Amino acid sequence: MIRCKPLLGTFVEISIKEDDGQEAIDNAFLAIQRVHDLMGFHNPKSELSRMNERAHLEAVEIHAWTAQVIQIAKEIHLASNGLFDCGIGHRLVEAGLLPRHITFTNHELGGIEDIHFLAPDLIKSTRPVCLDLGGIAKGYAVDMAVRVLLSEGISSGSVNAGGDLRVFGDTFLPIQIRNPESPEKLIDIGYLENGAIATSSLYFAKRDHQQSHIINPLAQNPSAIHAEVFGSYSVLAKECVYADALTKVLALSNNEHHPCFSYFSAQALRIV
Amino acid sequence: MIWKPSPLAVLGLAMISAPIVTQAKIYVSVEQAQKILFPNKALLKNPIIITGDLQDKMRAASSIRHPFQGDRIWKASDGGWLVIDEVVGKHEMITYAAAINPNGSIAGIEILKYVESYGYEVAEPQWRKQFIGKTVNDPIKLNQDIQNIGGATLSCKHLTDGVKRITVLYELALKNSASSATSTHMSTAK
Repeated sequence: MIRCKPLLGTFVEISIKEDDGQEAIDNAFLAIQRVHDLMGFHNPKSELSRMNERAHLEAVEIHAWTAQVIQIAKEIHLASNGLFDCGIGHRLVEAGLLPRHITFTNHELGGIEDIHFLAPDLIKSTRPVCLDLGGIAKGYAVDMAVRVLLSEGISSGSVNAGGDLRVFGDTFLPIQIRNPESPEKLIDIGYLENGAIATSSLYFAKRDHQQSHIINPLAQNPSAIHAEVFGSYSVLAKECVYADALTKVLALSNNEHHPCFSYFSAQALRIV
Repeated sequence: MIWKPSPLAVLGLAMISAPIVTQAKIYVSVEQAQKILFPNKALLKNPIIITGDLQDKMRAASSIRHPFQGDRIWKASDGGWLVIDEVVGKHEMITYAAAINPNGSIAGIEILKYVESYGYEVAEPQWRKQFIGKTVNDPIKLNQDIQNIGGATLSCKHLTDGVKRITVLYELALKNSASSATSTHMSTAK
């Protein structure tokens, strides 16, 4: 059975071996919806928006899933020497790529490194932050959906959230990646079993005349903020959350041998 | 994780890329979508003739140009509605089902069919025409083997517009018909 729903700003496709797994797929979609509700930047009432609004003023209680994403984001931020940073929400707001809910004035905005855990589900920020989890939450949502499917007794299948894809069980999935030069063409990169792949590229942004959504958190001058990358940057990892986040490290470093990848047992694939 | 790269990917040679031209994916049938969105509820087909005036209002509210077809509307036994619609973008055509709660809020969306095309030069009405009259059972599954694209999917902005149009349809055409049906039902209950 294969189904598809619009979630996380993209189309999420769940495919399972079983023909009668409707309820299992329903629950997997619910898990993705939950990630969407907790960590969406567009929703002014999401936990993420509440963190951006309040975390520098008071301790904010967060859901275990949000806490886990923040932990992983901090871990990757550290391992990538700051190349992966969720504290770039304001850049995307300024570019009109995300809605403006909060107005920050005269504040030096902090980054993910300013978020501290007071308890496993309680955070506080040392500076105001404008976090955007768009570069990591989609992969996490895919992982949560896979976890639900496995717990519902689904033996094998795949979850694909707009190119953030994970395959589980004994399915060998042929994987194709869009050719960054002409996205209507596909490049066959091989087969994947029990693993995840995510890809970052700007071909649709360029086609639609949008500014780059790949933000360089280490940019020294305004012209370098929106990274203009030309290739397609894929990362394969065991879990989709790492694959998703690490594509940004690959796109910005342009180096498939960045130590970050072996640290997370991931493999980088650059198509230029 | 096991990755078996294709030989060309390993060697880093210029990789052969196959054109998609048209990529079609069929997810669920109309009957399956009905069961998914209205489990264990009876649905009664309730087509609606869309007048020019209503069509104009729906267009204005959603910025979707192609006309809405009123022939795939069902009413659920609890007062909810199921509407099947299509959105046509420059590069994609999506057939989807929207479930509406008795209070008018959207209860769920299920994608039935997703077709991606790169006929840049093809004008929209023609792009649409090639699918008119097709059902999920029709053989338009070109390149059906292409299942797993690791790159970004087209955004679902058009779909959002489509759902907006359905909420307008509900406000202007379905809502009143819903209340009249409910009152009939209530008088029967007495």
